[in-house]
Amino acid sequence: MPPLANAGQAPGPPDGGWGWAVVCGAFVSIGFAYAFPKGLAIFFKEIQDFFGTSYSEVAWVSSIMLATTYGAGPISSILVNRYGSRPVVIFGGLLCGIGMVSAAFCTSILQLYICVGFITGFGLALNLQPSVIIIGKYFLKRRPIANGLAMAGSPVMLCTLAPLNQFLFDNFGWRGSFLILGAILLHCCVAGALFRPIGAPTPPVKPQVTGKGKDALKEEVTEDAMEMGSPTKVPMEDKVEEEGGKACCEKINQYLDFSLFKHRGFLIYLIGNVLMFLGFFAPIVFLAPYAKHIGIDEYSAAFLLSILAIVDMIARPTTGIIANSKWVRPQIQYFFSFSIAFNGTCHLLCPLASGYTGLVIYAIFFGLAFGMVCAMLFETLMDLVGAARFTSAVGLVTIAECCTILLGPPIGGTLIDTFGDYKYMFIKCGAVMVLAGTFLFIMNYYNYRMLAKEEKERKAKEENPKPVRTENEGRNSWNKETTRDGPELEPLSKEQEGLKEEVNGINEV
Amino acid sequence: MPAAFSGKRPGLRLLLLLCLSLSGGSPADPTVTTQDASHSQANSLTKMQTGLNVSSPGPDLTTQEFKQETKEHVSNATFVEYEILLPGVSGTSTEKNITLDRATRIELSCRLDNKYSHLKSLQVTWKWGNETLRHINKTENSWGIQLRIWDNSQLGSYSCTLKGEEEMHAVFHLQVPKIEGKEKPIVSYEGDTAVMICKSYGYTPTAWTWYMTNGSEQVAINDSLLADKYVINRVSANVTHLKILKLTKEDDGIYWCEAGFELGKSKGKLKLKVLSLMVPLKPFLAIVAEVIVLVTVVFLYEIYSKKKEKCAADEKEFDQIEQLKSEESNGLENSSTRHRKI
Repeated sequence: MPPLANAGQAPGPPDGGWGWAVVCGAFVSIGFAYAFPKGLAIFFKEIQDFFGTSYSEVAWVSSIMLATTYGAGPISSILVNRYGSRPVVIFGGLLCGIGMVSAAFCTSILQLYICVGFITGFGLALNLQPSVIIIGKYFLKRRPIANGLAMAGSPVMLCTLAPLNQFLFDNFGWRGSFLILGAILLHCCVAGALFRPIGAPTPPVKPQVTGKGKDALKEEVTEDAMEMGSPTKVPMEDKVEEEGGKACCEKINQYLDFSLFKHRGFLIYLIGNVLMFLGFFAPIVFLAPYAKHIGIDEYSAAFLLSILAIVDMIARPTTGIIANSKWVRPQIQYFFSFSIAFNGTCHLLCPLASGYTGLVIYAIFFGLAFGMVCAMLFETLMDLVGAARFTSAVGLVTIAECCTILLGPPIGGTLIDTFGDYKYMFIKCGAVMVLAGTFLFIMNYYNYRMLAKEEKERKAKEENPKPVRTENEGRNSWNKETTRDGPELEPLSKEQEGLKEEVNGINEV
Repeated sequence: MPAAFSGKRPGLRLLLLLCLSLSGGSPADPTVTTQDASHSQANSLTKMQTGLNVSSPGPDLTTQEFKQETKEHVSNATFVEYEILLPGVSGTSTEKNITLDRATRIELSCRLDNKYSHLKSLQVTWKWGNETLRHINKTENSWGIQLRIWDNSQLGSYSCTLKGEEEMHAVFHLQVPKIEGKEKPIVSYEGDTAVMICKSYGYTPTAWTWYMTNGSEQVAINDSLLADKYVINRVSANVTHLKILKLTKEDDGIYWCEAGFELGKSKGKLKLKVLSLMVPLKPFLAIVAEVIVLVTVVFLYEIYSKKKEKCAADEKEFDQIEQLKSEESNGLENSSTRHRKI
């Protein structure tokens, strides 16, 4: 139901309509990207026996895959900036398929590292980033719900892949399973096909453009070869001669926006998240071994993970709906920090859980907290930097997170081996996450205040008869506009202003 | 019938007593130690037996000792005790499985619960299969037998029956360690290699042998004879690998891994399934076809809806131009109305 669509051109994100089909595609894509590396664990025992390697050598396959999926983020961002989401996701899906099919014919563990680890991992990276990016392009008012629904793909896919992988393995062995999984991964191409390109969500500075006439506007809107991922392109086309000196930097920034490192909100998010990921995944990895350690049988321990996944599945869309409500949306950063701290508290309380019932309760709360954090992971980043620069932001963030994600479980494992007790691992994870949550809370409080201040200054400036919009639309004013994307009410009123100008433009002609 | 109960050669017994007492160590206490029925770990109960308590029953046992000494080193003698509490709480069974991999001295006893100690005139019988055993150790509330197991023929089920007003029954099953194979078949492909693994948990076998089933009989696999087809590798003391190279359809079937212990052999079953490459190819092609169909449908729908949009947009443009023309003729008032609407 596009609220502002009827003005004609570039109406702002549709917030519905085809957007829901895009959410379905993102659901599949994100689901595969997160759940597939975990689902492969079922094959490891057999592969280990077949190649005669140790368990850790086989576990490297999963680690390489995860590292590539996160580490190739910037490459993904550059490609999306250049070609748009759809071609990148389709290519990623093909790459995943090719990787797994070639893995089915591998004759050494090294070849598995390359085929499954690098090629499939890279394909998944090309799936993950564009899916998240395109949600930002299709949704604004309902973005948290869309994000929550799309991120729910991960637990759903995990719950589907785990028994499916077991079934495939029992019937076809690991080679046949890899072949069939390659075909299944091709469904990412279907998801990519759903990612119809769309014009820029917030209208780039219009008055100069409307000067060219109605035809130019129409051209931009009906152009589906390239999404207007980087709004700087439009003003840039107009003043290439003026800014010859800055052209080089801007060209790099066109592909990957490094100026984000000067963005306050982005830096806060980056530091907080990098810290958080140190303690994020380790508890999941060690939950089943911990359960077995305190005497619970294997099937009940596996069931704990199922409980976690089911609660996670429900928590993600629910969090999306809550985050979209008018009380939470303006302070979504606080909600995010709270959920991280809640997650940390769960881990800190876990050692107190005694017996199976205690662990079940822990699994439920952990699933809830995990879902809350994941649902808002990309939403908060979009909220801070705005949909326009999100493409580059997500690439830079994932490569930074890559290191801590990979370090988290091994550090946890070392703690367990050193002390022989799982509780230190839980304490470390809990402490790190509570710290990250508190850091984000305080820094976002500061950020909101600074944003409010800047907003006041901007309003004061506008009251002076200096026409801000027809000035030199260099990166600076655009920066200001995008940093004001923090409190979500701003862009909404901005859109209405932009629309008025469009209507004026039509009438002028 | 276990040789424990045939009596012979008292002179030798004295000699042995002398030897053992000289070698040092405290006499073992044959009285039954109170343990839970749940404590059935053989390893945790092993005691080094270096002396003989003179109160132990009969001359029969010395013969066993002698035989034991001739069969193994003195320091290897292990002694384990097991007890079942009768009549048994609901939940704890009055049966116990005892795993033995090497020659052992073992004491089995049935203890009567204190609540029933008032029962008089209890008749206790120990049986091994159908044979009744004599020489029962009796203490206050428990009846036990001492055995020496060094042969496969001595394993089996030993049972004690307490007959009074009610009959209470307990059974000890003495067996060799079980080897677990794999319940699910190992799936492999023609031309590929298959690796089958057998593990022994807790006990180290003296030898491993692999068998394949040919029709209804089991044929031992000789890896030195068919070195380019089979490779048997003892990876560690408790683990054995069988690698079958260049698989064909004939290799499909059941394989057995046999672990040889001092007290007998134990087998594990493994199944191998050899498939042709066509088998996974069919679902693969089916899924690829489905993906292509879906992608085509999505793109066709997009082209169709774009055409529709274009037609609608053209119509709208036409309408708008018409409206502009009519507005110009109506004056400014109409345009301001339109502004406010939006």
